[in-house]
Amino acid sequence: MSRLAEILPRRIDLRILFLALALTAIGIAMVASTTAGTSRADLAGKQIFFAVLGLIAAGVLLAIDYRILLQYSPGLYGFALLVLLWLPVFGKRIAGAKSWVKVGGGFQLQPSEFARIAIALLLAWILENDDRALLRPRTIWALGAAVGVPVVLVMLQPDLGVALTYFPFLLAALFFGGLPGRWWAILLVSGTLAVGGSWFLLKDYQKDRIRTFLDPNLAARGAGYQVRQARIAIGSGGILGKGWKQGTQSRLGFLPVRHTDFIFAALAEEWGFVGVAVFLALYGALIARALALARDARDRGGSILVILLVLNIAAQALVNVAMNVGVLPTTGITLPFVSYGGSSLVASWCMVGLMLSVAYRRYVNV
Amino acid sequence: MPASAREDRRPVLSRIDVVARGAWILIGLLAGIYWVHQVLRGEEYERQAENNRLRRVPVTAPRGFILDRNGIVLAENEPSFTLLLFRRETKDLDASLRFVAELFNRPFEDLKRRVERDRSYYDFVPVVLQENLTISEVGAVQARALEHPELVVQKTERRVYTQGAAAAHLLGHLGEATAEQVAARAKAHPGDPNLPRPGEAIGQQGVEATYQDLLSGTSGSRTYVIDSFGREVGESGNESPLPGNTLRLTIDLGMQKIAEDYFADRVGSAVALDPKTGEILALLSAPAYDPNLFTRRVSRAEWEDIIEDPDHPLNNRVLQNVYSPGSIWKPYMAYAILTHGIDPKERVFCPGGLTFYGRHFRCHGTHGSVDLVTALQVSCDSYFYTMGKRLGIDAIAESAGLFGFGRPTGIDLAHEKNGIVPSPEWSLAARKHPWYAGETISVSIGQGPVLVTALQIARGMSGIANADGALPTPHLFHIGENVRTGERFVYRPESKESIPWPPGAHETIVEGLWRVVNMPGGTAFGSRVAGLDLCGKTGSVQVVGQKEAKKGHLLPEELRDHGWFASFAPRDDPKVVVVVFVEHGEHGASAAAPLAARLAEYWITKSRGGTPEILAQVAGRPLGRAPARAN
Repeated sequence: MSRLAEILPRRIDLRILFLALALTAIGIAMVASTTAGTSRADLAGKQIFFAVLGLIAAGVLLAIDYRILLQYSPGLYGFALLVLLWLPVFGKRIAGAKSWVKVGGGFQLQPSEFARIAIALLLAWILENDDRALLRPRTIWALGAAVGVPVVLVMLQPDLGVALTYFPFLLAALFFGGLPGRWWAILLVSGTLAVGGSWFLLKDYQKDRIRTFLDPNLAARGAGYQVRQARIAIGSGGILGKGWKQGTQSRLGFLPVRHTDFIFAALAEEWGFVGVAVFLALYGALIARALALARDARDRGGSILVILLVLNIAAQALVNVAMNVGVLPTTGITLPFVSYGGSSLVASWCMVGLMLSVAYRRYVNV
Repeated sequence: MPASAREDRRPVLSRIDVVARGAWILIGLLAGIYWVHQVLRGEEYERQAENNRLRRVPVTAPRGFILDRNGIVLAENEPSFTLLLFRRETKDLDASLRFVAELFNRPFEDLKRRVERDRSYYDFVPVVLQENLTISEVGAVQARALEHPELVVQKTERRVYTQGAAAAHLLGHLGEATAEQVAARAKAHPGDPNLPRPGEAIGQQGVEATYQDLLSGTSGSRTYVIDSFGREVGESGNESPLPGNTLRLTIDLGMQKIAEDYFADRVGSAVALDPKTGEILALLSAPAYDPNLFTRRVSRAEWEDIIEDPDHPLNNRVLQNVYSPGSIWKPYMAYAILTHGIDPKERVFCPGGLTFYGRHFRCHGTHGSVDLVTALQVSCDSYFYTMGKRLGIDAIAESAGLFGFGRPTGIDLAHEKNGIVPSPEWSLAARKHPWYAGETISVSIGQGPVLVTALQIARGMSGIANADGALPTPHLFHIGENVRTGERFVYRPESKESIPWPPGAHETIVEGLWRVVNMPGGTAFGSRVAGLDLCGKTGSVQVVGQKEAKKGHLLPEELRDHGWFASFAPRDDPKVVVVVFVEHGEHGASAAAPLAARLAEYWITKSRGGTPEILAQVAGRPLGRAPARAN
C-alpha cells in the first residue's frame, strides 16, 4: 500500500492531467459566460457533469493495459463501424443530421466522437504489426481504409466537421509509419483532386462558408456574417479583454454558435490577447508533454497511439483557433476540452486516459 | 524480453521532434495572427463592436408653445400614442395587419400599402401604422403584446392648436419634412447638428414655418443597447433634448375671435395692426381650416375636401390674394395730388361722370362741386378722374411706391404677394403693349391693372395715420422666451421707410377720412362709434361689368362686388389700423366697415384700460349692418 502511494503519483503523469484539467476548467468558464442569461444557462452545469464523467472514463482507461486494448482494437473498431453504419439508416434526425443516439435522461451520445478512439487504437495496432522503416503498400491501403470507411459513414449523417477530424489520424499514421516519398506525391495529387471534386458534392451552405472565407465582406448579413462578427469579437477584445461575461459581441448574440464552434472568439473577446496567449501556451504545453510521453513509451504501439491521439486533439484545436479568426473556413470543428459538448469532452478525456495509460506503463518491469 | 527492445525507434523519435517543433511554430503563427487583430487593429474592431451594440435614437425636443400677446395659448403639445410595427420581429405580416385592421376598423389594404411604402428602409426602422391612439386602443394593443411582440405603442407629442381654425393662417401647421427641405436646410446651414430628419414634423406654413428654428429646440438622443436581433436590451446613454422657445405673438386673441365670428359665413380677410410698431393684432382669412387636421396624417378625403373647396381655404387672403383696391386707393391718390402742386381747395364739378379720351367714365353719384376733402368723404370718382389725368400715371405710381405698394411688406410670413403698381414701363415689360392714357383714369379710382393685398393697404394706411409718416414693417413676433432660463428676447423690425409729409397734407387727408365715418354724407357714416374718432375709406370692386351690376341685390352672390374698408383710430395719435375685405360683400360700407369699427373700438377700449368685462361687452354687442350706401 505504501509502495503504491509512492509509485502512483510518479507514474500518473500529473502534468498532462493538470493541463487537460486547466483547459477543461477554462472551457466550463467560457460555456458559463456564453450561455448565462439565455435559455441555455444550464449548459455550464452539464459541462461540469461531462467533465466528471470524462475523468471517470479516463480513470477506467488508465486502469486497463493499453496493450490489451490494442489487441482487441479490430473488434472495437468493428463495433464502432456497426454503430456508424446504423446511424444513417435508422438514426433520428436532430438538427439536420443523424449523428445522435438517445441514451435517456435527456442526454444524447454522438458515436462519431467515440469512434475516433477505436480508429486510433486500430491504426496503432496496424503500425505495431508493421514496424519496418518504410510502410508496405498493403499497410498503406489498410490505414487508408481504416480511416476512409468511418469518414464516409460520418459524411452520410452528414457531419463534415467530425469527418474532417479523422483525417489527421491518417496523415499522422502515414508520417510516423514511414511513407515512401512517391506515396506522398500520390497523396498530394489525389488530395488536391478530392478537394476540387468535393466542390460538386458540398451542400450550398458549405460552399457559402468557403466563399465567405475567401471574402468575408461578401455579404455582411449573409454567410460572411459569422466570420466578420467573430473577427470583431476577437479584435475588440484588445490586449486585456472586456472581462468574463462582459463580451458584448458574445453576450448580445452577434457571435454565432458561441458556446461551441466560436467559443474561442468569445474567450478572445473577454480575456484579450493575454488570455489567447496563455491559452495557446497551455495547449502547446499539452501537445509537447504528450509527445514527450510518446517518446518514452515502452513500445512502438504505445508510442504511436499517444502520437495519434495528441495530434488529433492538436489538429482540431489549431484548426478551430484558425477558423475563429477567419484564417481557415468555417467547418464545424470544435475546440477540444473547451467547446460545449458531452460526447466530445468525454471522448477527449478518454484520449487523455489512454495517454496516461501508456505513460503509466512506460517502465518495462511493471 | 519485451518487444520494444528489438525495435529500431529512431525514425519515430526524430519525427516526434519534427512534429513538436511544427506544433510550436503553428501555435506561434496563430498567436501572431491574434496579435495583429487584437493589439494592432484592436481599436478599429472595438469601434465596430460598439456600432454593433449601440443604437442612437434621436428624441425630438418638445416644440415651443405659441401664445397670443396676452399669454393665451394658441398652440401647445399633448401626449399622444403611436402604433409602430417592427418588421424584423414580424413573423406573419398579414396576421399582424389583420389584427390592427380589425382593432381600428381600417381597410387591410391601407395598412398593407403603408408597410409597402416603407419597404426601402432598413427592417429595424419601425413603420407607423396608426397615430393618436385612444387609451382603450393602447390597452387593446398591449393586451395582445405576447401574441404580437412586433406591435409597439410609442409615446410621442402631438401639436394641438387650441383655437382651431381661428388662427389657422397665421399659425400655419406642421408637416413632414420632405427630402428637398432637409437638403435645402443642409445647404443653408452646413454642419448644423439639428437638421430635421426626413419625415420629422416641421413648420410648413405660418409662424410655425417662419420660426421653426426658434420653436423646434434641439433634439436629444437615447442610446440603446441592442442585441443581434435589433431588440433593445438596455439603455446606455441619454442626451436630453432642449425644449423649444415659447413664442408670444403680437396677436390679440379677443380681436382675432371677433373677426372669426364675423367671417363665419363670409369669405374675405381682416387685418389689424399698430401703425407705430407694425405689431399685427389680428390677421384673419376666411374660410379657414382646422390646423389640427395636419397634426395627424390627413386622410385623402379630408385633403380633397380642403383643396377642392372653390374658396381655397389654404390661401391666406391677407397677403396671398391680390385685388383691385377700388376706392380705398383714393387716400394714396390724395397724397399724389397734395405733393404735385395741386391746391386741395380746387373744385371739380361732378355731374355723375365725365368723358376722357372719348370714353365716358361714370361716377357712382352726382356730387356737384367737390374739393379734395369732400371728394374723399363722398368718394367722388369724377374728382379723382380729373386729378389723375392731370397727374399722369408716373406721379401716381411714384406715390403708390412710397406707401409700399407693388412690393412685399416684409411680414414674417412666407409667400407674400407683390401686387401691381402699373406704369408704362410695367405695361411694356409685363403686357408687351404700351400704356393707354385711358387706363390712367381707371387707376385714379383704384380700378384697372392696379392690384394690392389687404396687408399692403394696412401698411399704407399706417403711413397715412402716422403724422410723422412712419411706414412700419408688419410682424407677428412679439417676445421669445427660453423656457429653461426665462431669458426673453424681443425683435422689432426697424423700418427705415417713411412718407415725407409736406405741411398740411397729412391733416387734409385725415380730415377727409374722418368725415367718411363721422360726417353725414360720409360713405361709412353708418359705422361711426361715439368717442372713437374712426377715420377710414370705403371701397367696392366690380366683379362684373357696369350694366349687370345695376341689377344690384338680384344678382347671385358670386357676381356681387367685393367690399373694402381701410381705417385707423383714433384720429389723433392713432393706435390701430384695420383693413377688412369681404368678397362679394357688395359695399365696403355695409359689409366691411362694421367689423373694422368693432375691432378698432375693441383695441382702443383696451388701450384705454378697459376691463375684461367691458371688453366682453364690446365684443358681444350685435354688429348691426348699416344701411347700404353709395361709396
